[in-house]
This record gives sequence, C-alpha cells and structure tokens, in this order.
Amino acid sequence: MLLLDYQNALIQSVLTERFSGAPPVHIDQTVSDFDGVTFHISTPEVKTKILLSIAIRCFKDLAKYGAEQVLQREYGQYVVPVEPGYDFSVLVDLENLPESKEERDALAMQFALLKRHAMAAPFEEAYQEHYTLKEEASKFSSEDAPKGVMEGGEVKAIHYREEEAIYIKASHDRVTVIFSTIFREETDRVYGKVFIQEFVDARRRAIQNAPQVLFRNDPPLELQGVPGVRDTGSGEIGYVTFVLFPRHLTPQKMASVISHIQTFRDNFHYHIKASKAYIHSRMRKRTADFLQVLRRARPENEEKERKTASGRTFKVQGS
Amino acid sequence: MAYSKPAATKDWNQPPVAGPHLAPTDVNLLLYSVARSSGPQPKPANSFLRNIGPTQGKQQPLAVMSQSLRPYLQCVRSSLTAALTLSNFASQTTERHNVPEIEAQTSPEVVLTPLVIARNENERVLIEPSINSVRISIKIKQADEIESILVHKFARFLTQRAEAFFILRRKPIPGYDISFLITNFHTEEMLKHKLVDFIIEFQEEVDKEISEMKLFLNARARFVAESFLTPFD
Repeated sequence: MLLLDYQNALIQSVLTERFSGAPPVHIDQTVSDFDGVTFHISTPEVKTKILLSIAIRCFKDLAKYGAEQVLQREYGQYVVPVEPGYDFSVLVDLENLPESKEERDALAMQFALLKRHAMAAPFEEAYQEHYTLKEEASKFSSEDAPKGVMEGGEVKAIHYREEEAIYIKASHDRVTVIFSTIFREETDRVYGKVFIQEFVDARRRAIQNAPQVLFRNDPPLELQGVPGVRDTGSGEIGYVTFVLFPRHLTPQKMASVISHIQTFRDNFHYHIKASKAYIHSRMRKRTADFLQVLRRARPENEEKERKTASGRTFKVQGS
Repeated sequence: MAYSKPAATKDWNQPPVAGPHLAPTDVNLLLYSVARSSGPQPKPANSFLRNIGPTQGKQQPLAVMSQSLRPYLQCVRSSLTAALTLSNFASQTTERHNVPEIEAQTSPEVVLTPLVIARNENERVLIEPSINSVRISIKIKQADEIESILVHKFARFLTQRAEAFFILRRKPIPGYDISFLITNFHTEEMLKHKLVDFIIEFQEEVDKEISEMKLFLNARARFVAESFLTPFD
C-alpha cells in the first residue's frame, strides 16, 4: 500500500454489499477517517433507506468556499436535510437503485468519496479563480498590469486539523497549495526532513513534470498576514508548498490532481510512522542477535563428574 | 597505553594476502598468553584452545573491513584483553561490601589509568580498568542528524534490556553512547575471550546497522516521493 486511497474503504464495502441485492439489514455504524472526519451510516426509519452523514472539523471553512454547491452537484437527488450533530447527509433508497452492477458500484464509490468531495470545494474555487486571473492577465503585459491581477487572489485557509491547515492561493500562472504540518517529536521531525528532501529533489531528478515542492520551517511569504499562521521558531511546524503549474491546472486534470493532493499529509505521516515501525522491529531483531553473541560467552555445561556403578569417580589428570 | 592514529596510515596496510592470516594468529597468541598469565582459569589449557577455534571462523573476513577499522578494532581487542585481568577484591572502605571499584572510586590505588582508543573524533572507546572491574564506553559514529537519532534510539533500546545483557551499564558515561561494566564475577562465569568478541562484534555490527537503517530510510523516502509525484504527471 504505497499510496492511500481517496475513498473510505469501509463505507465503500458496506454500501457495495447492500447494493448487491442482499436482503436489507439494520445498519448503525460510526466510521472514522483521516483528519478527525467521522461518518455515520445508519438506517433510521426503514431498512431499505440508508442515511450517510459526515462530520468534518473544518466544514465552516469549506462552506465558505462553496462546499455546499460542490456536494449538491455531486450528490444532487440524494441530498437530504442534515442529521443533527453532522455537517452533511445523503440518503439512498435501496428500492430505487440503478439497474446494472457497474452503476451500483459507481454509486457506492461516489458515496465513499464524500470526504474527498467536501474537501475539494476550495481547490475547485482556486482553479476557477486561476482561470479568471489568467484571462485578465492575458490582456496586460507584465509591466502595466493593474495591482491585484499579478499578485493573485486571497489565501484560502482550511483548518482541517486542530493545529494544521491547508492554504490555497491562486494566481494567474499557478496555484499554490501550502500544508502546515506538525511534528510531534524530534524523531518525526528528522524523518520528515528526509522524506521532504526527497520530495523536493524528485522533481529535479526523475519527474520533471511534477509540481514544485518547497519546504521551510517558517511561514512562506504567501502566508504573511494570514490569521492563525504561527512561527514557533523551533522547527516543530513545517510548511510544505506545492506549486501547481498550468499543466496541472487543465480542467481535464482537475479532478485527479485535487483528489491526489488532498492525500499528501496523511500519506506523508503514514510513511514516517511506517518507517519508524520498521526500524523499531529491526532494532529488536538486532538486539536479539547481540544477546545470542553474548550467550556464547557462557560456557556450555562442563562435563559432569562421571561415576561408575560402584560409586567411584574418574579423576582427570592435571585439573 | 595503546593509541591508534586517526585514519589508517600507510604502515598499517599490510599486503592483502598476508593480512588476514597474520592478524588472527597474533590475537590467538595474545589471548593465549593473557589467559596463561591471568591465573585462575578453571579449565585445562586445551579446552581453552578448543574454544578459540570457532571464534576465528565466525570473525568477519578481515579483508572486507575498511582499512582504518581493522587496526582500530584490533587495538580495542588487545587493550581489552589486557585490561580484563580481574580478581575478586572486597571493598576497603566498607566492611563486607564487594563493589566494582571503578564505579565506587573510593580507593584510588586500585583504579588504573583509563585508556582512550580513538579512530577519529567521532568514534572512540574508553577503557577504564580497575582491580575488580572494567568499564568500557563506546562512542558510535554520528555523522548527521539521522544517525544521531538512530544511535540514540538504538542505545536506548539496548539499555532498556540491560537486565538480559548482564554486562551492559544502564547509563552511558557522559560523552559516550553506550557503556559496559565487566566485573570479576562476569569473567568468572563467562569466557573472557568471548566477552571481548562480543564487544568487538557489537562495534562492528552497530556501525553497519546504523548505516543500513539510514540507507533504508533514504530509499523509502525516495520511493514514496516519486510514487506520490508521478500521478501529477
């Protein structure tokens, strides 16, 4: 599992099973996802009507950048009034499903992507903003452009975790996505640095067309004056900047790029943890090896004194 | 006092053919003579020699080691063997106590001159002998941040298991990463040359392990980064 999936696997499997034509059952499950997102999948009234609700910490931020519209577009007929305690709900009726298996699987997948769609709103807005700015900028040469066109739009902040946020800024020739990420301990910080260095170098070395990745411990210039941006000076917070170039900003690529970049933080931390676990198990093994070597220092049981049947002993000469 | 010059100089380089043959013989002779002189070894001499046999086979082929590592470990080995001449010695200051004198430091006359063997400024071994105990402290090479994190983790991992390691000291001496304390009780119930083997093997393996882990981390990071960035293409 090198890359993380965009969808929630548990929701996908529950829904695929329900959609497969199996007899309807009562469901009441709470499902967790990355970044403190919780889903609630239940059949509140009848067994054939499945209600899926999502709670996202940063839904207020997302709603500000048009999450409602995006979700309305994606889920249209399935949207229902929000379940109390959650941010968004959809309802699917098992008696009113598409006919073919492919369509049903696609529908299950669509519901499993609920978090992805909710988080996609600010990115999509940034894409739109980029298109308009590009349009405007093409009317001017770089010298006589009025203020505002070349600088780009507002910084959109999504505080998707308690202390971490994604900042998105669109301008006429690029979209900048900045992840602020916290390293809880020194080891994470060092491992993180190794990983990030490879992200930074990958573009130079192998994948020329990848977005540019930058890393720094103090807030980048784009974030100056943005409320909530802290600089601890201790290297605890890292800012990872992705610069999406026009080749990533085509409408054809929009969906996949948005899905993929969302998983960055989780993917990154997942691999840090996985490396730690591997190194730990390796040390465990090596320690066992050392113990083995040390045990060799204990002499094997010396030959016991042997007795004859009558109880007499042999004496070894010279000891 | 033994001191190996930092980084191998030319005169340490022996001809490649003679090298691997010569060194173990020296060690054997040294071990043998020390064993004879140290006195209270309860075993007959031939059983002692029998025990040397397999050790020689298990040793890393010396030619594989880097040129400066070999004399360094050789020096540690000989110094350690010489230092491990311990005898039972009850405390002079407290009645009915028998403590490692190197830790107690109460009678200066039984604590011998400490000895530092340094390969370079980052790698050294401190041997502190006394009449009934020897303290060996090792500083493991730490070239950068990752290595020092790995060394720190590894040392902590080992010291937490000090109970099982008998001779491991729970806390390293300041300025070193890991310390061992060998007392006369250890040398009485364990084979002395095998203890020396353990220390030497420990040094070899730790360096190797640390650099392998570092390589692994870099390789994984590179692979992860490339696979994450490829879908953007």
